[in-house]
Amino acid sequence: MSTRQTQPEIISSGTDAPSSPPRLVAVIDIGTSAIRMAIGEITADGSTRTIDKLSQAVAIGKETFTGKKISRSTIEDCVRILCSYRVVLDSYGISSDEQLRCIATSAVREATNRLVFLDRIYIATRIQVDVLDQSEVARITFLGVQSTLKADSHLASARSLVVEVGGGNTEFLVVEHGQVTFSQTCSLGSLRLRKMMESLKTPVRKEREFLENQIDRFVSQTLQQIHPDDGLTTELIALGGDFRFAAKELAPDRVEDSLAIISITTLQKFVDKILPMSVDELVYDYRLTFPDAETLVPALLTIIDVAQRLNVDQIRVSDVNLRDGLLKELASNDIWSGDFRDHVISSAIDLGTRYGLDKAHAQHVATLAEKLFDALLPHHHLDARARVMLTLASLLHEVGMLIGISGYHKHSMYVIQNSELFGLSRLDLQIVALVARYHRRSAPRPTHSGYSGLSRQDRVVVSKLASILRVADALDRSYSQRIRDFTCDIQKDRLIITVPGVDDLSLEQIALKETAQLFEETYGLSVLIRGSRA
Amino acid sequence: MSESDLRFFNRELSWLEFNQRVLEEAQNISLPLLERLKFLAITASNLDEFFMVRVGGLQTLYARGSKTKDATGMTPNQQLAAISDRAHELTRELYDCYLEQLEPALPEASIRRLRMNDLSAQQTQYVRQVFNDEIVALVAPLAVESPDSFPTLTGNTISMCVRLERPAKDEDGLETRYVVLPFGRIPIRFVTLPSEGTYSFVLLEELVEKFIAEFFPRETVLECVAFRATRNADMAIREDLAGDLLKEMKQLLVARRESDFARLEVSASASVELTNFLSDCLGLAQRDVYRIPGPLDLSHFFQVADAGSGEGNRYEDWPPLASPLVDPTESIFETIARQDVLLYHPYDSFDPVVRFVEEAAADPDVLAIKQTLYRTSRNSPILAALVRAAENGKHVTAIVELKARFDEARNIEGARALEQAGVQVFYGVKGLKTHAKLCIVVRREPQGIQRYLHFGTGNYNESTARLYSDASLLTCNEDLGADAISFFNSVTGYSLPQTMHSLSAAPITLRDRLAEMIEAEIQYKNQRQKSGITLKVNSLVDPQMIELLYRASQAGVKVRLNIRGICCLRPGVPGLSENIEVVSVVDRMLEHARIMHFRHGGDDRVFISSADWMGRSLDRRVELLVPVEDDRSRDRLLAIMECYFKDNLKGRRLQPDGTYIIPSKRRSSGLKMPAQEWLYRETCRVAELAAQSRQAIFEPHRAPEQ
Repeated sequence: MSTRQTQPEIISSGTDAPSSPPRLVAVIDIGTSAIRMAIGEITADGSTRTIDKLSQAVAIGKETFTGKKISRSTIEDCVRILCSYRVVLDSYGISSDEQLRCIATSAVREATNRLVFLDRIYIATRIQVDVLDQSEVARITFLGVQSTLKADSHLASARSLVVEVGGGNTEFLVVEHGQVTFSQTCSLGSLRLRKMMESLKTPVRKEREFLENQIDRFVSQTLQQIHPDDGLTTELIALGGDFRFAAKELAPDRVEDSLAIISITTLQKFVDKILPMSVDELVYDYRLTFPDAETLVPALLTIIDVAQRLNVDQIRVSDVNLRDGLLKELASNDIWSGDFRDHVISSAIDLGTRYGLDKAHAQHVATLAEKLFDALLPHHHLDARARVMLTLASLLHEVGMLIGISGYHKHSMYVIQNSELFGLSRLDLQIVALVARYHRRSAPRPTHSGYSGLSRQDRVVVSKLASILRVADALDRSYSQRIRDFTCDIQKDRLIITVPGVDDLSLEQIALKETAQLFEETYGLSVLIRGSRA
Repeated sequence: MSESDLRFFNRELSWLEFNQRVLEEAQNISLPLLERLKFLAITASNLDEFFMVRVGGLQTLYARGSKTKDATGMTPNQQLAAISDRAHELTRELYDCYLEQLEPALPEASIRRLRMNDLSAQQTQYVRQVFNDEIVALVAPLAVESPDSFPTLTGNTISMCVRLERPAKDEDGLETRYVVLPFGRIPIRFVTLPSEGTYSFVLLEELVEKFIAEFFPRETVLECVAFRATRNADMAIREDLAGDLLKEMKQLLVARRESDFARLEVSASASVELTNFLSDCLGLAQRDVYRIPGPLDLSHFFQVADAGSGEGNRYEDWPPLASPLVDPTESIFETIARQDVLLYHPYDSFDPVVRFVEEAAADPDVLAIKQTLYRTSRNSPILAALVRAAENGKHVTAIVELKARFDEARNIEGARALEQAGVQVFYGVKGLKTHAKLCIVVRREPQGIQRYLHFGTGNYNESTARLYSDASLLTCNEDLGADAISFFNSVTGYSLPQTMHSLSAAPITLRDRLAEMIEAEIQYKNQRQKSGITLKVNSLVDPQMIELLYRASQAGVKVRLNIRGICCLRPGVPGLSENIEVVSVVDRMLEHARIMHFRHGGDDRVFISSADWMGRSLDRRVELLVPVEDDRSRDRLLAIMECYFKDNLKGRRLQPDGTYIIPSKRRSSGLKMPAQEWLYRETCRVAELAAQSRQAIFEPHRAPEQ
């Protein structure tokens, strides 16, 4: 992955331009047990419409979760399926790379021969597969479910826990007032559980006990981390094919596109009924595919466990899937400036809160940094994604103080590196961590671990952002947020920051002297701060 | 009668009853002469197919020693015996009709069948020349020493069997031998004679008989008789064994010429000795032998009927009418975008359906065409349009069913042409026949991708669409479009079957959907809400569906069935089916549409479908059930269904004893004309109204007057 080189987009306000025809796009998702494709249209106003859906079964997860390696024959199965999808794409005239997004999730990510797999697919089909990090999956899932949450007046104001039980992993998203406050992924997946059970040769009568123990261990841990125990009620929203099937069976009369509500007792009874059934019986009786029949019980047991831990008596099942989210993502011109930005930032604030940060200072530094970023736009040419990285690093630059004051910038780096920020890939997180680290003391050096592993473009981004963060941090060295407004002028090789209404800026000037060297080295501008009387 | 015997009619006997109704049209003196001759030919050709497909299968079961009973409790042997009785009776009636009624009347239509002895000197000289120049070279006498050396016969073709006598080689006295002359694929059956004003002919077999002695100069011809053997064509295609379906089908075409025989027809003049010789050689029992008092293979008399002339000897012509819903000056896609178009063929012309594919082939905005093909016509304009579309760079996918009965050869040929043009051709789903009639046109429009759909109850065959009554629905309904695409994706293997919201497809959900609809009627009835079931299908055989209909009847739901062919449901039996009425219409058009109406508490549900209510359709074929939700289309279908039940002229009512009778004409509630005529007149009336008021508002079809 590389930094996007696009200029920040200027949002045109003209609405009277004639609406252009919808854009045809396709998304393919290489999952644990199926390769699925959705073909959709994106209209000028950003709404999406799915016009074709395809799904074919593959055994990737089955192999990765047991043998760790995708077999040759399965790779060729994938090639064959993707070639057949190419034919369908051709029939819609979808040929350019911009019209197609193909992603893979945990089954491919965890395969030891991941690169062999990706190369073979690319050579045979010209399809570039992006392997998503789990937190990106969470982001895309949320994009998909967001409109459902917004549309429901009750859910829009309530606290919801969105749980997606996938084949390899389970996502947990806590959403309050439409904002993601926590997100966590654990490697508890329906197919993974099934495979674990098979490899341990769990006796049939012990199956339920085994599953429930495994599930509860993960669920209790995760809920402890993400779910505030404040007595507020939580709505439980379940995503995933297993729940869609359960909804079809148990709540057949629900209105299209709405959330199906299933009581936990009903779900329990259903599990009691299907648990003793063999996979073949499930396939026969319920017309399921084999892969779907294998994951059904573990997935339903997981949601029941979550419900019991949270003390809720019903779940809501949403129809949305990963493809819906991917389409939404393609539809949003720049995800780094919309709702998603707010969600990442709110999850960063939550992380900070857990580490007892000086919230006022952190947020103020972030505001100052953003201001500087915008003012320096012609000098750094960075995009909206970089701006979000800067904001996050600013919010979290002192997060390591809880661990120790000495060298806390390094602690900050570790904390960020080892946290999950909603929707960020590992690479994104690494950049945020490094920017936070370089907000004081040493400038970036090739010998620094983490930094040296970055691409040149990303290294430059780190330097540019860290320089800005240093200046912003210096401007609030008083920790009093007294500098609120300022203007920036660039004269020859100097950046002049003029602060109206403040007389004594000596504290900030000293701070700048300590930290602005990196800025000078990076931008070729020395930094001068002065007050002014209105 | 046993209990199971009371619940169902045997399907084979019910089929024979259907053929009896076709024969009744041939016997009907109020019909034009040449049309009667055609009905006669249809009866004969139906019977041939019945022996090939059904009797052959039963004989195989019997030969393997099967004692498995059918739904009426009959073993294969009992069924074969019953079939033989009924088929003999039918054959007798068939020839009575031909010999006593039709042949004597043929001169009225300027047709004369002459016997060799009636020919003038000039005519005799002419036929002699025909025999020498065209026949001799094509007929090869094959000596039959023993049953093993009996020649391979092409099914349903006529052969001559000659019994000869000659001096024995080694000792004194005489010996007899048999020679068979298969006519095989000789294209002539009726040898046209030079004559003035009338079409005169002699039968090929009589011509050959006349000169037969010339083949055997040193022997005495004791007798020379025509015979015809019908082959068993019920070959289960073992899809699971063969990799290459196309290859396998070609093998089957060969195999069909080598399977066992189901029936022997031999001229009634044949001696017992010769008849026994033939039945022994063919491995047939006495009950499979039919002694024929007239010309063999009456299905050939189609040609004769075509050659006839004369005022009043044919039906009044009913040219199909252009639907007032379709404006010929605008694009068919604009028409469909404005409104759903329901057509009822053959009264409504099939042209809009052909235009639908033809316009799609030429339209620059069309991206893709996806179509199922079951039986197409020779030189099909639809196939040609698909080829053009592929050549124009459209993405064309066709599902060609190779297993359409007896049409394999043409379908294979058609599939080749499509493949060469770059059409993606699929040969159906393994183990299932693809019988659904569906065409999807994917078109890119300014507001996005739009899908135009054609759903039919009949094949994409514009020639049979002039004779078969079928419904067509042209629509761009979004839900149906999404379902149609996912149906197509699953049939072509691009995707696993996905949940469909509007359509139901056999073999996955169609049966369950129908069962749910019937159950719902029972519930509505119990809750004293509006209930009622009206079905129009070609055959009703499936025991599960019949039991459901019995349950509905027992719950008090009124069930009206319009079933042209086989009906195994026994109507009007107190306590079982007294609320069920069955009407069969056999008339000039072949009733072929499948339409279902459920009252559903007043929220009428109407469907069209490609499926009959038979096990093979519901479980072993790919079929579609399509809801018709547009008000105007639905009302038209309801009016169409209604008229069949008001037909007191051609609408024969099935009785509890299995017979069909025409209700007394005194019934006042009926139409004053047969349903088909009413449908045609009504279609004309609406077309005229539309022509008069050249406005955009069209009159709906009204229900028949009460």
